[in-house]
Amino acid sequence: MSILAQCGYGRGQKIEKGIDAGLIDGVIMSPRDERRQRLESDIQTWREAYPDAMILFDPQFYASKFTNPRDGHLSEYEYYKNNSGLKRTHFSPSLIQKYVKECLDYQINILGENPEYLISPSISIDDFYDHWSQIAINLAIESADYHSSLNNPPPLLISIVVSETAFRSLPSVEEFLDILTELEVEGFYLLIKRDANYLVHAYEPTAYSNILYFCYILSVINGYKIISGYSDWHSFLLHTVGVNYTACGWYQNLRYFSLARFQPSTGGTRPRKRYSSIPLLSNPLINPEFNSIFISGYIQNALSESNYDYILLNGPISGEGNWSDEISCFAHWYSLKTIVERIESHALVADRIIEANLIIQSAQQLYLQLENAGINFDPSTGPNHLDEWLSGLNEFRGIAHL
Amino acid sequence: MAVPDLTPEQVQSIIPAASSIELLDRGGQKIVFTGIINNQKYALKFMSPNPLQINASVAGFFDDVTARAQREVETMRQCDCPNLVKMGPIGLTTAKISGNDILYFSEEFIDGENLKEYHKLHGNFSIPDLIKLAQNISNAINEIWQFAKIHRDIKPGNIMSRSSNGDFILLDMGLVFDLQDSSLSIGPVGTLLYFSPEQLDFTNRRSSLNFRSDLFSLGIVLYEMATGRHPFFDPNTTSLFAFGWNIANMRPVPPKDYRTDLPQSLNDIILRLLAKRPALRYRSIKLLNVALDQI
Repeated sequence: MSILAQCGYGRGQKIEKGIDAGLIDGVIMSPRDERRQRLESDIQTWREAYPDAMILFDPQFYASKFTNPRDGHLSEYEYYKNNSGLKRTHFSPSLIQKYVKECLDYQINILGENPEYLISPSISIDDFYDHWSQIAINLAIESADYHSSLNNPPPLLISIVVSETAFRSLPSVEEFLDILTELEVEGFYLLIKRDANYLVHAYEPTAYSNILYFCYILSVINGYKIISGYSDWHSFLLHTVGVNYTACGWYQNLRYFSLARFQPSTGGTRPRKRYSSIPLLSNPLINPEFNSIFISGYIQNALSESNYDYILLNGPISGEGNWSDEISCFAHWYSLKTIVERIESHALVADRIIEANLIIQSAQQLYLQLENAGINFDPSTGPNHLDEWLSGLNEFRGIAHL
Repeated sequence: MAVPDLTPEQVQSIIPAASSIELLDRGGQKIVFTGIINNQKYALKFMSPNPLQINASVAGFFDDVTARAQREVETMRQCDCPNLVKMGPIGLTTAKISGNDILYFSEEFIDGENLKEYHKLHGNFSIPDLIKLAQNISNAINEIWQFAKIHRDIKPGNIMSRSSNGDFILLDMGLVFDLQDSSLSIGPVGTLLYFSPEQLDFTNRRSSLNFRSDLFSLGIVLYEMATGRHPFFDPNTTSLFAFGWNIANMRPVPPKDYRTDLPQSLNDIILRLLAKRPALRYRSIKLLNVALDQI
């Protein structure tokens, strides 16, 4: 088991039910979306009710970089720099010390006895060579230093928030890895920042192979624990290269990480309902895509075989009304968990890569069958991401010499 | 810079407490004698400060020979590890011989052979010796690193095999680099054949040199002691330019290809030490030792 819930707005009872159903291992809390009092009280309750669940707190300090961010309840948390729009000048050594101390002390206070990990504060970086990158490193080093000064603290994860585009250059990735691997910490909490305009599952193959390489070097080669937040379908590829936990939420903005979440809203409509299909490695729209699959007689090939499938089996359109946000979330966690378990049944990365290739190729074949049957997919649901994942995975094999 | 041209008699006059003084070695920067002080044999090292820089020895600035001797002595004083040579009873001292300035100090005398001589005499190391070499020298690297220092000159000539127990001892801390001291050189120093890729990078930033650079040099030493070959240099075919390229880019032939009885796990450890990027080596000596224990 290695799936966590990435919390956000609209949590409801999803966490409790998800843990009870064995769909998730734990939760990463989002202070932006939680009143402080409720968050602290729920953590306490969960600690008692679910002693084996992993409860983490993402400080979301990176939102401090924005002027007037859409930061929800974050201002209720003292370590957070409310509406400050922190500039480079706000990261002097003494201020960095202060941010780190406040952030880690707060987590120690609220997470109760023997929490699994603390997560360090960080800021986002768009390029491994820019000045923000150095500030992120300084925050990481100070976090490790402060943590080592504490008496018997919980293990520390260094938070790393990096733009996907920064991964285009392998030499800069390698240099950053050289620096990160100097840190004496338990591991890293990794957020890959994506451009909100990107197709959600698709990654540029070279950048993606370097992301896989980055995770592989930190986890398999250097033995750090890696938790990757806001990870959707590609979670199984991250687990292929050694990532220990991936986290995924219920809405689209909790399945990939974008700072747009912290910027003024441009409005939006309620998302259309989707089905999480393991065989397709994507979420076709229940109407019309999944319904077309049903009509064409291929629905058995596209089912994930979760306990929730029955809702749609008499016709996706007729079942759509009962496919609630909560059911959709559980079905998705089930899908991610199932594929990740398939990958983690292999101990060696080389064997996991073979398995991952089989999973992707099988999805490609199904897409081909469906397309031949006249079923059209929206670009956000189509098979393009599969080609890119395969290319990225193969490039990764090359650079990792696997 | 000249090496002081001393006789045992002159050494005796400089250090009256020493007896049985004999010439041990004469290197590029120092001349080394052995002598007995308080019934214990020590190495006595003599150097000449750089005459072109000596007049500048004011306000904390030292000529490079003196600076090296100082860091060597300081490192020996700081470290307490059975695999590092120890300081003798005489700290860094100055004297004048025939009007010339002389620097000298004493250190533990290691009775044995350096690895260069040892390999010539005994050939390729046995597997247990290779493991012991890796464990002993990584311990020494770790000890130096506790003081935020790196050795920068790990090579067979600087590692002794002690006759009495077969332990391996790392010598010559003259090039030790203190990451917290901005006054010392950070350019490419050391012995070229044992440079890490990051040592060869002349634009190297301070932050990218750490103990993992020493691990790379240890990897070369292990490779040589296992196979009798240098992983990146063939004296018959490799030019200096090609050598630099090899260090930075070439994947070495697995040592197991030359040494079939080498356990796969030890082969993998040596190759990992020789990885081009520090992040691909071991991030702690503890992790290396775990791997060595599992062979």
